[in-house]
Amino acid sequence: MRLSEGVVIVGESIAGLTAARELRKRGYDGSVTMIGREPEGAYARPPLSKGVLRGAASESDLAYLHADLDLVHVRSAAVALDVTSRTVTTADGRWVRYGALLIATGADARRLARPAQEGELVLRTLADARLIRDRIEQARSAIIVGAGFLGLEVASACVAHGVEVTVVDTEPPLLRHLGSYTSERIAGHLTRHGVPILQVDGAVRLVGDPVAGVALPDGTTRRADLVVTCAGDVPTVSWLSGTGLADSSGVAIDHRCCTSVPDVYAAGDVAYLRAGDGGRRAPFWSNAVAQGTVAAASILGASPPCPPIDDYFWTEILGLPIKVVGPMPVHGDPALIEGDVSAGDAILRWESPGTAPTVMAYGRKIAVRRLRSMARQADRVDHAEASRSRQK
Amino acid sequence: MKIDVDYARCEGHGLCAEQAPSVFTLDDDAELTYHAEGAEVPSDEVARARAAVASCPVAALREIS
Repeated sequence: MRLSEGVVIVGESIAGLTAARELRKRGYDGSVTMIGREPEGAYARPPLSKGVLRGAASESDLAYLHADLDLVHVRSAAVALDVTSRTVTTADGRWVRYGALLIATGADARRLARPAQEGELVLRTLADARLIRDRIEQARSAIIVGAGFLGLEVASACVAHGVEVTVVDTEPPLLRHLGSYTSERIAGHLTRHGVPILQVDGAVRLVGDPVAGVALPDGTTRRADLVVTCAGDVPTVSWLSGTGLADSSGVAIDHRCCTSVPDVYAAGDVAYLRAGDGGRRAPFWSNAVAQGTVAAASILGASPPCPPIDDYFWTEILGLPIKVVGPMPVHGDPALIEGDVSAGDAILRWESPGTAPTVMAYGRKIAVRRLRSMARQADRVDHAEASRSRQK
Repeated sequence: MKIDVDYARCEGHGLCAEQAPSVFTLDDDAELTYHAEGAEVPSDEVARARAAVASCPVAALREIS
């Protein structure tokens, strides 16, 4: 490691900023350069699909403050990496040399528009959120393509603005993320709020130029004042071409956030854990924080202070907050720990052999610490039961 | 050091209380209490309080001085 040449972090993201903070916390006093394409610098993204879509007032103060970290900022996109000369090239023509490099460029929205078809709306950045909010304020009807977390959060914002909204997907809402039990209940929740879920059996095409509707697999077309694509994300890796670091799934890392190239690390939405280390990409805020923390420790040659996966995430769908701790998706019916699911106020637990339990707060506001402690208690109960049954 | 808390934006994740448990606490309903409201954060809590500000996923906490 040539730390005397400094640490370069590409991506002013929560993963990148967490790593910078952890480097300083661990006493690293060398140079830390952050290369980022966002003109405003780093800001909190979770509120973009919630508060920011509700009204302009809540977009103030989203910026993450980091004056205490003594960072050098390069506010231009990284466009190329040369691992031999250890240099990152930026869009504005700078070459930045590194001793250690952290790839934290996150992901871009997956788009459905044809090349040159204009007006597709997606939601990843503050600029995207501002544009969608302005359009929601003008719209009377909306179509959301994709019934994942993001699609349902945008649909919720449409309902809050009195916009008639339809959600289109090939699968029931959140099925892939949360499993069938929760998916069915969310579908009911959406129906009760007058949000139709249009389940289709094939690819949806955007129509109009600019985009003004969707063509469905059955040959029909639906038009709306506002069409938003919420069809997942793709890791931001084009700047890594030719390095062998990235494939279509992103940048492969091990449990220490090391890539296949010495002194090059990756964290957050851009990264996925190699098969032996979890074998998946989990683009959620809490994983980005965990991986940023782990990457900083690895850069300094320390052992990882935590696992590179932190299974905590949350959403809010039409006033129904959901918080989950543990592996997802889950299968089958959960045990009811507290409350009443039909009243939208419950704590649920799923258990499956060989993995940690999953605990969900369904419609109940609860601190993550309590949820984690419930998951741990569930785990202990399981172990106690397992050891009793072995003794029999 | 003072911290401005945007209670309307707070979603009750409680990560701040994990970082700085004597500055922030959450009750059973995940309602946040900030124990230095209108006052300076005690000097021996500043580092933890700063980590708490950084940990908020919805940027509801802000260092103002």
